[in-house]
Amino acid sequence: MSNMKDIYTAGVWEDNPVFRQMLGLCITLAITNKVVNGVTMGVAVFFVLTASAFIVSLLGESVPRRVRIPVYMLVIATFVTLVYMFLKAFFMPLSQALGAYVGLIITNCIILGRLESFSSDNSPWDSIVDAAGVATGFALALIAMSVVRELLGFGTLFGVQVLGSGWTQWVSMILAPGGFLVLGLLIWVQRSISPVEEG
Amino acid sequence: MNKLERLLSEISSYTEDHPYLRYITEVIDTIRSIVFEPGVSAEESPFLRDYIEIKRYMFAVVVAVAPAALASIYFYGWRALAMIVVSYVAGGIAEVGFTLIRKEEITEGFLVTGILFPLILPPNTPLWMVAVGIIIGVILGKEVFGGTGYNIFNPALVGRVFLTITFPVAMSSEWLIPLTGGWAGFNQFSVDTVTSATPLGVFANAGTLAPLRELFLGNIPGCLGESSALLVLAGGIFLMLARIIDWRVPVSYLGSVFLFSALGMYLWPNQVAPPLFQLLAGGLMFGAMYMATDPVSSPTTKEAKWVYGVFLGVMTVSIRAFSGYPEGVMFSILLMNMFAPLFDEMVMTLRYGPIEKPYK
Repeated sequence: MSNMKDIYTAGVWEDNPVFRQMLGLCITLAITNKVVNGVTMGVAVFFVLTASAFIVSLLGESVPRRVRIPVYMLVIATFVTLVYMFLKAFFMPLSQALGAYVGLIITNCIILGRLESFSSDNSPWDSIVDAAGVATGFALALIAMSVVRELLGFGTLFGVQVLGSGWTQWVSMILAPGGFLVLGLLIWVQRSISPVEEG
Repeated sequence: MNKLERLLSEISSYTEDHPYLRYITEVIDTIRSIVFEPGVSAEESPFLRDYIEIKRYMFAVVVAVAPAALASIYFYGWRALAMIVVSYVAGGIAEVGFTLIRKEEITEGFLVTGILFPLILPPNTPLWMVAVGIIIGVILGKEVFGGTGYNIFNPALVGRVFLTITFPVAMSSEWLIPLTGGWAGFNQFSVDTVTSATPLGVFANAGTLAPLRELFLGNIPGCLGESSALLVLAGGIFLMLARIIDWRVPVSYLGSVFLFSALGMYLWPNQVAPPLFQLLAGGLMFGAMYMATDPVSSPTTKEAKWVYGVFLGVMTVSIRAFSGYPEGVMFSILLMNMFAPLFDEMVMTLRYGPIEKPYK
């Protein structure tokens, strides 16, 4: 089953949605100022992506080409609504912290991109593995960003003070400029470890 | 060739072939070219009549800021010197480390950034913040673009703007009242008298103006190097006379601040401060002399320098009057740095017709 493994690791590292494909940056920049937000968003996207990839790959050729995007949107929206209501019911503070961004998973180009380019013409199992890989890559990117930003911005991890109470908060890390800086630096790191092959 | 130079060149040629030591060849060569001339000479024309290059330019700028740097010790004690040292050490390590990893040549550009950066910080800035700022400035402001000569933005200002948005409290509300009389700061390490605002801050909040004489001589709270407009002006005039910086940028910058604040004062008397106050208060003089004239991040053509200066003035007056920040020199220079290549290209296009771009 090395093929499955390749599909998975490609999504996690070589074709990482954030660092390589530069997709889903809106969410990445907006919610990564706390690790909890990053983890929640990562799990939410994992669920939505794998579930809708499975459904879409089952639909396969039975959807006419012309209406495929609306159909995908419906599938995605169903799962996003589930996540949205679940968060509201059981994790109200988190739901408030993430605000509109849970709902905006519907328009996340990572999900639509995977459904369009992979799930629509691959077997259900391959699709799930691919979706899981890409979602893991996305979640890891979110967590990496939010660890740096929360650590410098608040001196905490998961809300627990780790850098001592005298830590001077790096305010810009909590705000948008820190998001852009950390994203740029992490892209630099990721591409230094495995350079992009210029084609 | 004296002994030291011979020694350095022997070390350099020895380390060049050594399997492990070859990484430090660049460091040895840099020391040699700072103290002596570089080891290479031109083999075909054009030959130089006078040996002037980046090193001498940089050294002249350091000489020109020396009075302002000394004045900062006079006003705020030896802690000011500690900030300069920290800036040089931390920034130097960042610069050398980065160039060694990238296997590039170490350039002298850092000599100027290293002293300008601490001079645009509030005197109370913690030393570790100085280190963070200069490292960010050197790496994100300069090295990621390819090193000295390739940076879009002034590295010292990149470090300063990072500190401003990252540590807003330390960067904008803890000003010190400068010492005067006798040996003042030369007798002590630091100043404890904290005040809440600079003259520009006072004007923004209360509408009162500091006396012009104090602004000119330097008995006012502010960043380290900007206290005395007189010394900054002296350094700037020295650089202009030595043809190190082009007089067009400071003249058009200061001139347009003067003109637009006169105009603004007429239109919005409560928000825009009077022209002379604008010229002498805050970092304007320092920015106009040492930051806006940075040969790398400012325009190259003469006409573009005028346009650049005028825009700088408009933006500085506008930010001071209408934004939440009392001072706008840093933001306006960084913003206009972005447009410098565009101004140059417009001037070239007007003069020589459309430019063929090397890229698509």
